[in-house]
This record gives sequence, structure tokens and C-alpha cells, in this order.
Amino acid sequence: MAETNRGTFFSGAGLVWKWQRLVWWLFFVCLIFGFFSTHEMTERASSLLNNSVAAERLVKGFDVSAFITLQQLPDSPLEIQQHSIAHFSLVFAVFMLFATGGILAAYVLGEKPTTTAFFEAAGHHFWRFFRLLIYLVVVLLPIAGLAAASNAMYTHIQDQSISPYPGDHFAEAAVVIILLLLIIVRVWFDMAQVIAVADDEKKMHRALRRAFTLFRRNFFSLIWLYLRVSIIAWLLFALGLHIWMYHLHPQSVVAAFLLSQLMILTWIGTRLWQRASEAIWYRNYQANQVPSPAWSPTPEPMYMPVAAEPQP
Amino acid sequence: MQLTKVFALAAASAIFCGPIFSQATAPAASVTKTLSTRIVAYQIDAKLDPAKHTIAASETLTYKNLTGQPQQTFPFHLYLNAFQPQSTFMTEVRRSGTRGNGPGTDWDPKHFGSITIDKLEVAGAGDLTSKMQFVQPDDKNADDHTVVQITLPKPIAPGASVEFHIAFHDVLPKVVERTGYAHDFDMVGQWFPKVGVWWKNAWNCHQFHANTEFFADFGTFDVKITVPQNEIVGAGGDLVSSATNSDGSKTLTYHSEDVHDFSWTASPSFTLVEDSWTGSQGPVKISLLMSPGHESSTQRYITAAKGSLRLFDEWYGPYPYDRLTMVDPPHGGADAGGMEYPTLITLGTAVHMPKGMLEPEIVTEHEFGHQYWYGMVATNEFEEAWLDEGINSYTEVKVMDALYGKSTSVLNFPFAQMGESGLQQIGYLSDPDKDPISRFAWQFYNSNSYGGITYSKTASMLLTLEKVIGEDTLRQALHTYFMRYRFTHPTGEDFLKTIEEVSGKDLRWYFNQAVYGTQVLDYSIGDAHSDPLKWWDTPAHGAKKNDKDEIYRTYVTVVRKGDFQFPVDLDVKFDDGSTATEHWDGQDRWIRYHYDRKARIASAQIDAHNQITMDRDYFNNSFIEDTNPRAAHKLRNIWVFASEWLSQLLAWLT
Repeated sequence: MAETNRGTFFSGAGLVWKWQRLVWWLFFVCLIFGFFSTHEMTERASSLLNNSVAAERLVKGFDVSAFITLQQLPDSPLEIQQHSIAHFSLVFAVFMLFATGGILAAYVLGEKPTTTAFFEAAGHHFWRFFRLLIYLVVVLLPIAGLAAASNAMYTHIQDQSISPYPGDHFAEAAVVIILLLLIIVRVWFDMAQVIAVADDEKKMHRALRRAFTLFRRNFFSLIWLYLRVSIIAWLLFALGLHIWMYHLHPQSVVAAFLLSQLMILTWIGTRLWQRASEAIWYRNYQANQVPSPAWSPTPEPMYMPVAAEPQP
Repeated sequence: MQLTKVFALAAASAIFCGPIFSQATAPAASVTKTLSTRIVAYQIDAKLDPAKHTIAASETLTYKNLTGQPQQTFPFHLYLNAFQPQSTFMTEVRRSGTRGNGPGTDWDPKHFGSITIDKLEVAGAGDLTSKMQFVQPDDKNADDHTVVQITLPKPIAPGASVEFHIAFHDVLPKVVERTGYAHDFDMVGQWFPKVGVWWKNAWNCHQFHANTEFFADFGTFDVKITVPQNEIVGAGGDLVSSATNSDGSKTLTYHSEDVHDFSWTASPSFTLVEDSWTGSQGPVKISLLMSPGHESSTQRYITAAKGSLRLFDEWYGPYPYDRLTMVDPPHGGADAGGMEYPTLITLGTAVHMPKGMLEPEIVTEHEFGHQYWYGMVATNEFEEAWLDEGINSYTEVKVMDALYGKSTSVLNFPFAQMGESGLQQIGYLSDPDKDPISRFAWQFYNSNSYGGITYSKTASMLLTLEKVIGEDTLRQALHTYFMRYRFTHPTGEDFLKTIEEVSGKDLRWYFNQAVYGTQVLDYSIGDAHSDPLKWWDTPAHGAKKNDKDEIYRTYVTVVRKGDFQFPVDLDVKFDDGSTATEHWDGQDRWIRYHYDRKARIASAQIDAHNQITMDRDYFNNSFIEDTNPRAAHKLRNIWVFASEWLSQLLAWLT
């Protein structure tokens, strides 16, 4: 299984690379939404800052007090941002719900994702995935409860101990466990989506049940498949953030933009890597299944009628 | 800091400064002449029950009547009674918030605190316990028991003394508003019946409010503290003796003089770090009590304390005490942090405090600064909180900037910076126009306005004043103010008059707006552009002319957008490198300047040196002809990234 898994891991990356137009497409949609959500802020900030000497405080380094002062101005260019960003992020999530069908169709069926095929698949699976989303919310509720309980436990430990470390260590462990649980749930629901696309399963509860059975039987290989990609994604993200914060020259606006977008691009890429790997895993799984022989009754012993003794 | 270093420091200080718990020598001044007019002498014998966080104590207060008239009625503060749901303090917290707690804060029974007088006797008058009466001079809230009043059978003559013998017990709250317990840590502040101050020909003994601090007379304190053997104690006094009791506890005796309060702390989990610093008045022993997990901040505290001691000594006046005790509250006890008591301050840090975040240094500097502005210059914190918090915030800017850099004294990361004056500016601008600086502390609109105005507006007001009288003159004024009023209770007018006297300027026009008014200061470049002088005779109108010969008329209009009037300087630069400077008294709503030159405008800027820190919007103080979109693009980068990142997180759900 390990050998197969390693192959799936790299094949997934290969598939994402092969049809990288999907990554680019999602990236540009995300970028356009990002620009839309910040357009008004940029306009207002430009009118305030473009001809101001004080703007240097944000360019040569980043004076946090100048940034906060901007927020405190009666006509602050930043006050509208939170709503705007939240709205566009929500719209992007809906878009991703729609696009997932098309993406998975390409990965599962292994065919070139033409525009027509992509949108047909996206539309075909949209409501199914919407129903899955509702199931997902239900499944996430206990995890949210666990997070709340962990928080209460953390507070309790902090109250009990004079040293801050026990509470901190507990919090770190709780975060790891909750993240792991979230990955487990994500693998399960991703598998349900793959099954829905691969087998054109209409009943999402059935897809979930099948995915659960499959996941349970191949728990460690599937988790490891996802976990590896997640670790790579987070490492790349942390590396990008580190370079941005500590190594880029404060005045390098273009370089900062390119770096930040590279981070988003790799994030999208690694997420699709997970989806592609799982799709390939499922294809292989199906291919490796030795079809059970059709039932046939055990041939009954043929009792040939004993030939009558020839009559003398 | 590693434990070995702690031991090394302790050993070094033991070698060079004597044994850790030796009897400290009394300040030299006490041998000759007292630093303060000693009105009160407290002798307190207190026993801490660390399991219940209660204190049983007896107090003898000798009050010397220097009021110049007979006194028969004496009010006492019982601050710990504020921590009860019906108190004025809690009512105000619920209504408008207080430090660390917003409006609507719910009552938590763990924060219950109380101080109960079990018996009150007056020498020569007997037991007057039944004569005690709770009074509410500020709001008539009958449920508030933070001030008690006792009327003697006969008045105390001027110059005579009266001796109160009080038996009382405290219930400490879980840390709230500077005092209480957290785990095995007990911060014991404002814990004994403290007599009010005869001031401005009346008793000044306010109830404890959400936004108020304290006010008391100078004198001496002899305090015995009995605690279990394993407790490590820090206190605002010199350790006189330490004795082991038959029950296994120990009793530590402290003496302090020329102070107006006494606080102490105890915890078996403290690590004691000792150091010393020598100033113009001799050596000062620094005792730092560190809580578990905060070791990495130890040296940061010490460095900040020594730097503050040095600069205050140089700039404002000598530090006359021989000790400074610094207390680092444990995690969960942050509400006890960031507080000042005479010769004892509480600090604040976190387990993983990044080096670029200078919170431990700021807290250390700020609370040490209060040794001057509150400790020695003992202003009325109830009525004129700006005189301690505000002046202290200003000196915080000066000291922190000198020690850690002007633009990096709050945050110092490669990707983000902040200086102290910026910190004060944003504090002020968060709510700039609801209250004047001079308002009584409990009468502010809410806790945000109190903090922004009292601390930050005062600091910004003094930083802006530097532009009028000069930084050195203001420093000299603060020095004069300190030396003149230390160990007394000066008023706001005393402070303002000292500045006027030292600067030799009538500054009423400024103080009336900045201290007594709520006007907001905002000047801006309303318009700046160049136009050909003979605009009708340009190529656009068919004329053929060499552009170099063209004479332009440049207009620059400065607008006063706020109602605060302040003189401003205008610097104009032209594209041939020439400049022009104007000084405007800022009285009118706007003023327009024009220049006829063979050059067009390059830039116009008011307050080019960023001295007017009270300016609400400094982004509109300038105009550059060449548009530079970098700042807007930089902000856009950040927000686009944030937007995309949030999108990806939400998309993960799908």
C-alpha cells in the first residue's frame, strides 16, 4: 500500500501540473475577487496618500501608528474593508462549491477539462455538493463543541497552575488534535465528492456512507496522503510570510505583491493536489478491485441415470 | 533569563550590595531633614492567610493635625469594598467600562473583595466603632462602602496629634484593578484604612470609582507582615528585620518614610533577582520578583529600569529612595500589573514576548516614572489624573525614545514599527473631543475617553507644546516643577504656571484650548497648484513660447479644519530647488499664499518636523506634486492578500 500511496502522492502533483490551467483559473478568480473587495479602499487611500508626505511612514518601513491613524480618520479608507472582504470571500466560497464538480470530473475521469465539460460537470454536481455542505456543517458541530470544551479546559488549567506552560502545552495539543480532526473530516467529505463524481452518485448520504467505509478501511494511507500535502502547504505559506516580513525591502511593493500572490497560488495548488491525489487513489482503488465472480449455483452433481442393465 | 544567571546576579549583588535581606540603611535625608511634611504615621501588623487570600491586621495611625484648624471628623478610604456588585465602582464599570473591562461587564463573584473594620478606637476617646458611618461624597450611592467617616467626641487642636487604633480584616479579590490574588500570588495594594487628605480647606476623600486612582498624605510606614515560611515577599519599604515564629511562619518588618502609601506582594513561586544602580543620591537596590515562565523578560525589565532611573535622575531630578521593588505578576494576574506604589511597581509581560514588542520595557518605564509623577509629586489622582498619568505618558515618550529609538520604542520589527509619540497620538485620536484634560477622573464620558485624554492627549499636548517653547525649555520646566513640588500636592495650575514661568511665555491661549477645552486641532493643505502667470498667453492658447521663460503663479492655501487655533509653519518647495517658508498664526479659517516664479510647485507642507502631534490628521498636512501611489498600493497588497486568504479558508469548507 505504501508504494501505491507514494505513487498516488506524486501522480496527484503531476495531475495538478498537467492541468495547471485549473489552478491558474481559480487563482485569477480569487485575485479578481480580492481586487474587487479592496477597490474602494484603494481609491480612498489613494486620494489620501498619493500626494502626502506622511504616506512615507507606510512606505519606508510600516509605521503601525500611521496605519491606525488612517483607520481613526472620520473618512477612513479602511473602515469599509471588513464587510467588503467578508462578502467577496463568501462569494468565492460559493464559486468554489460550484467549481468543485468540474475540477473533480477532470481529475476523476482523467480527461482534458474543456470549458464545456467543466461547466457541465460543475452544474451537474452543484446541488449535490450543496447538500454535502449541509452534512459537513452537521459533522463540524461536535468538533466546534470539542474546541469550546478545550477552551474551557485551557482556562481551567490556567487558573490552576502558577506556571503558564501546562495551559499552553494543552492548548497546543488541542489545536493539533482539532486540526487533525478537521483533516479527517475533510478527507471523508472529499472522498464522498469523488464518489459522487466518479460513480454519478445522486444520494449524498449514500456517497458519505460509502466514503466513510472506504476511508475507515484505508484510514492511515488516506490521512497520510492529505497530511503530507497539508504540511507542504503550511511550510510554503510560512516561508512566504517569513520572506515577506523579514527579508523583503519595505519599499518593494511589486515584489511583495508577487510574493503574496505566489503564496495564494501555491495554497490553491496544494489544495488541488489533495483533490487530485484522492481522485487518483479512488481510480486505482476501483481498478484494483478484482471483480467478484457472478453468482452461479454450484453445479449439482449430475446423477446420470444409471443405465438400466441391458436386459438380457 | 536562565536560572544560573539569576543566581549569578543575586550573588553579585550580595557581594557588592551586602546580604539580600540585610537591614537597609535609612535614607541619608532622614538623618538630617525629612523630605516631606510627615502628616501620617502608620504602624500595621498584618497576617496573610495565603490559602484563603485574607489578611487580618491591626493598624495604629498617628495623624498630625497640620490643617491649621481644629478637626473633629476624619474620613477613611476603604478601597477594597469597591469590589462588590452594588458599589459605585462596579456600577460605573457596568455602565462605561474600566481598564481591561468594557461596558456591560458582568459581576464575577471571584472578584469580591472587602475590608471590614472590626474595631476602631481613638486614644483618649475609647471605642468608637459604633460611631463609624459610611459616606458617599461623590454620588450618594448608599450601597458604596469605600469611604467611612468617624467623628470624634472632641476636636483635635491644630498642631496636635490623634491616634487611631484599628483592627480590620481584608478579603482579597481575584486580581482586579491592581490588587488581589492569582494562583499563589497575592498583590496587596490599597488594603488598609487610609485617612483622607485635608486639601483646599476641606477633606478630600473620594469614593473609589472605575477610573480613579488614589490620593494620600506623606508620612511613615512601619509594617509587619506575617506569612508562611515559603512565601517570598516584596514590599514598598526597607526590610528592617525578619523573624521566624513558633508556628512556623515568619514576620518581616518593613519601614518606609516620605511616602504616601504602602503595598506588598507575596508568592512562593517568585524568583528574586537583585541588582543595583547608582545615581546622584547614591545606590539604589533593585529587587525584581519574577513569576514562573517569564524568565526571558528579566533582563529586559532590569535594563529598562536602570535606563529610566538614569534619565529621570539626569533630566527631572534625583531619585531619593534607596530601593525599587519590581513585581512581575504571574499569568492570570495581569490585572495586578502595570501599577505604581511608592518604591514598588508592578510590571507585565508574557511567556513568549517577542523582542520587537517592547511592552515589558514600556510598563517598567511608565510605572517607574510614577515614582516622580504620583510618588513624589503627589497630585490628586481623583481630580487631576492628567498630572500623574499624562505627564508620566509624556516622560514615557521622552525616555523610551531616548533608550530605544524614536520610531521603534513600541514596536521594532523589520516589517512593522511604532514609536512612543505615535502610540500616544493614536490613543488620543481614538476619542479626542468628548472630555477636556482637566475633568475629574470619574466624570469622563467612558473609560476609553478617560484613557485617551488623561494619558495620551496630555502627552500629545506636551509634545505639541515643545514646538512653542522648545524641548529643552519644557524639560527644564518639568525639572523645576519636580524640584519645587516634590513631596507636596500641587495642582494643575501649579504645573501650568511653572511652564509659563520657565518659558517666560504667556501660554493661556494654548492651555485654554488644550487643557481646559475639547477643541480638535487639524490643519491641512487645502490647495496647492501652479498656473502660468499669463495663462491666456500659453501654447494652449496659441502662443509660441519657451517653457523655461514661463513665469508661474503658485497658490498654496492652508485651511484650519478644526476649531483648535495653533500657529503653523508652511514649507513650499519648487521644481527648480528653491523654497519658501511661511509662518501663519492659524487664527483665521484659511490663508492663501502665492508666489510668482519661473518654477512650478514641487511640494507644500505644514509641520514638516511632525511636532504638532495633536493634529488629528497629519496625512492632509502636505501636498506633493508628483503622485506616489506606493503607500496605497502597499495597503492594497495587504488587504488583497487578506481577502484572498479568507476566501481560501472559506473555500476549504466546500
